[in-house]
Amino acid sequence: MSEFLQNVIDALSLGSIYALVALGIGLLFGILRLINFAQGDFITIGCYALIVPSTDVTARMLIGAWSWPVLIPSICLIVVVIALLTDVLVFRPLRRAYSPTLMIASFAVSYIIQNGVLMIYGSRPKAVNLWSELNTQILIGGLRLPLLQIVTIAVTLVLMSVLTLFLKRTLIGIQMRASAEDFRMAQYLGVRGNVVIGLAFAISGMLAAVVSLLYLTQSGSLSHVMGVPLALYAFVAVVIGGMGSLVGSVAGGFLVGIIVTFLQAYLPPDLRGFRDAFAFAVVILVLLLRPAGLIQTKSAIERV
Amino acid sequence: MSAIAEPFLEVNGLHVRYSELVALREVSLTVAEGEVVCIIGPNGAGKSTLLAAIAGGVAPSRGMIRFRGQNIVDTSPEKIARLGLSLVPEGRHIFGSLTVEENLLIGASRRGDRREAAKDLTRVYDYFAPLRERRANPASRLSGGEQQMLAIARALMTRAPMILVDEPSLGLAPKIIDQIYRILLDLRVQEKLTLLINEQSSHRIVKQADRIYVLRAGEIRLHGAASELGDGRAIKEAYFGFHDEQAAAS
Amino acid sequence: MNRAIQVLIRHRSPIILAACVTLLVTIGVLSGFRHLQLSLTEMLLRMTIVVGLYVFIGNSGILSFGHIGFVCIGAYAAGWATADPDWKQLMLTGLPSFLQDEQYPFLAAQAGAALLPAVVALPLGAAIMRLRGIAASIATFAFLIIIQSFYSNWDSVTAGASSLARLPTIVDPWIGLVFAVGAIAVAYLFQISRWGLMLRASRDDDVAAKASGVRTVRERLIAFVLSAAIVGAGGGLYAEFLGSMTVDEFYLEMTFVTLAMLVVGGIGSLSGAVVGVVVVTFVVEFLRTLEHGISVGTTTFALPSGSQEIGLGVVMALILILRPSGLTGGREFLEWHGDSAASQLALADRAVRAVEVGVTQIEQHKSEPEKDVSVPT
Repeated sequence: MSEFLQNVIDALSLGSIYALVALGIGLLFGILRLINFAQGDFITIGCYALIVPSTDVTARMLIGAWSWPVLIPSICLIVVVIALLTDVLVFRPLRRAYSPTLMIASFAVSYIIQNGVLMIYGSRPKAVNLWSELNTQILIGGLRLPLLQIVTIAVTLVLMSVLTLFLKRTLIGIQMRASAEDFRMAQYLGVRGNVVIGLAFAISGMLAAVVSLLYLTQSGSLSHVMGVPLALYAFVAVVIGGMGSLVGSVAGGFLVGIIVTFLQAYLPPDLRGFRDAFAFAVVILVLLLRPAGLIQTKSAIERV
Repeated sequence: MSAIAEPFLEVNGLHVRYSELVALREVSLTVAEGEVVCIIGPNGAGKSTLLAAIAGGVAPSRGMIRFRGQNIVDTSPEKIARLGLSLVPEGRHIFGSLTVEENLLIGASRRGDRREAAKDLTRVYDYFAPLRERRANPASRLSGGEQQMLAIARALMTRAPMILVDEPSLGLAPKIIDQIYRILLDLRVQEKLTLLINEQSSHRIVKQADRIYVLRAGEIRLHGAASELGDGRAIKEAYFGFHDEQAAAS
Repeated sequence: MNRAIQVLIRHRSPIILAACVTLLVTIGVLSGFRHLQLSLTEMLLRMTIVVGLYVFIGNSGILSFGHIGFVCIGAYAAGWATADPDWKQLMLTGLPSFLQDEQYPFLAAQAGAALLPAVVALPLGAAIMRLRGIAASIATFAFLIIIQSFYSNWDSVTAGASSLARLPTIVDPWIGLVFAVGAIAVAYLFQISRWGLMLRASRDDDVAAKASGVRTVRERLIAFVLSAAIVGAGGGLYAEFLGSMTVDEFYLEMTFVTLAMLVVGGIGSLSGAVVGVVVVTFVVEFLRTLEHGISVGTTTFALPSGSQEIGLGVVMALILILRPSGLTGGREFLEWHGDSAASQLALADRAVRAVEVGVTQIEQHKSEPEKDVSVPT
């Protein structure tokens, strides 16, 4: 299989992951004007929830040993509960606060979660083997394609379709979209702010849980800061794609996945380390030139 | 049961401040069920702040607001909406990224039943034919007049017995304004609504309203029945805040 | 003599701050505990940094997540200047010869540590100070990541992921004190200067700030560059305190801790910056002692390791929820009489802002009628 095709699939797969994380961040930003620094840490929790809590260097599977129809909902449940807790404990009291306060608060939440994980599980990265059966290649139409990547892309597409249907067809979904555009006006019409926001946190949590499983299968190792690079790049995706636009977040995610993969593949080796620097330089540029991102919604323009 | 009906909406001694700036001072008003009450006043008088405070969007520093006998100060806007008081804010604030129909469905958030909502939709479309035509269009594509219709229709969907309308004529052509007012007053009769309307210019609404309040620089300067005040000197004085010597001499 | 006393009273708040800190340090040093002296020194370094942070955030109202990037630049500048030349020639092959072959005295290194970040801050600030609140904050965050990425990967100049070592460790509590007090003085002078006052007047108020346009951008830029210099100096001190350092020291952890100190103390005032540093240092030290364990009879009670950090995070969250304007409430020390420069300043800026804010908020409420105060007045 050609190297180029491999890169394309890698890019789409990585882009899928970033898109899912970006969606979680974008959803909360849209409705709550909250830049959730802790989104990456939700992912970390999803991963660590799989193993037996201990500071040992070798990880033993707990939930991770269960069969997937039980495993997946369990992890989703755990992360969703944590996400809802952060809303109830930290963000609900800050409902009327300005954006900078929310940013700092989410930074604090992230810090607490990371150090909490550190406390319970120790600081050394652990190797974990989740669904290693997926790390093979399958034959499709004469081409050998990496199964895990294909699964990642497929799962992402399915999840996004479900979410789109939810947002467009259900009453509560429409309420969420309205709240994302003009929260106050939605309230004036009787939309229950706390319900919509709680739902947004729950969805973000679920997205984080899915990402944690996909990501862990691929990377095979746990560390208390594992969510940080994901969140950082997803953040880039949200800014580039358009803060306040869910479609923008997803598009941004895929774009970042593509850019990162191809930079990794085609940059000269001594420049590869500067990938992060490039990515965030692009963020600054976007903020300067087109602050509402590529896909602009009116509310985003006012907000940023 | 007393012979005099309790006011539908009662505002008493309302003070609203933004940091150091006093936006409303000692504002009191009442609206009886089924009335059309109009608040007029120049720009910056505090009219929008007043409606926002009643609807729960701005917290007053002092004063009392009672809707149907219930204290609604320090109540969230969504709760107030569910109690039956709906705000059509200045500038419409329609959800541009949603379709017309989705905008209307938001109005139905007060009740969760989809079938009831569908019935309400039909009714609302009967009042606002242009909206029915554009039901699947994104709301941002509507003209100014249509957006105003949408905003009112949306409030209608909440089945709130009282609707606050903030400057419905803003930015609209006179013919459209007439249309909007005709619809509003028609609705008032058909849907048994109570209306509290803000306007900058008095002459249109004065004929239609039951009672008028004049608000200037955060204070109520004048109020009374529209039939008595008309469009006369008293209103002009209260509105502009000075005695028009020439008018007095004439 | 009378005149001197009048001046002292007018400017009492920074003087009191400086005096209290000096007293604290003196007691600590005289006590002779080595561990205490190290903690005090680090506290003073942090104070320099947090005061510098305050110069920008407190006066402009814009949250910056990127200042630790300037700390990093300053630290490495000092490191380049003062590390052992033999070591540099071996490890930092990319350094220009005027750095590689020489070892500069402490003050020269500090000057560089303050200057280089300022030089970087100028073009960066010129670009991003035009942005509105959130966008500017995101841009500063991006800056932090860029610096981190840059410095971690530029092996030939920074030793990349390994430590920049063999630095003279000459920073002790007294040197730290001098710089911390100096930072307080500079911050105060800026805040009562024309630019400081004008900047504070447009602080919470993006819309009015936009209306003022160019002037606000320039004031913000001045604050930005000045704050970069101060935190850079703090970084330089860190280099000469630790003796060896890696880029990781100056990244998210330090960003969080310094921000937490400022928030806990109170973003809006210089006293807040100082108080925040002292209080947080005490809380963290206390938790650290508990982590080591206290013996009661034959048993030892110890908090699990990591309690310090979680404790700090929780304190930060509690302050944000319960008292967002921080322990000092955004006020300066001893501000009950209206005659101190600090309280006159506060009055003046409140008055100016009230008019602007009042007018614009009436417009603003139509789309965003929230009115809680969090980046405090």
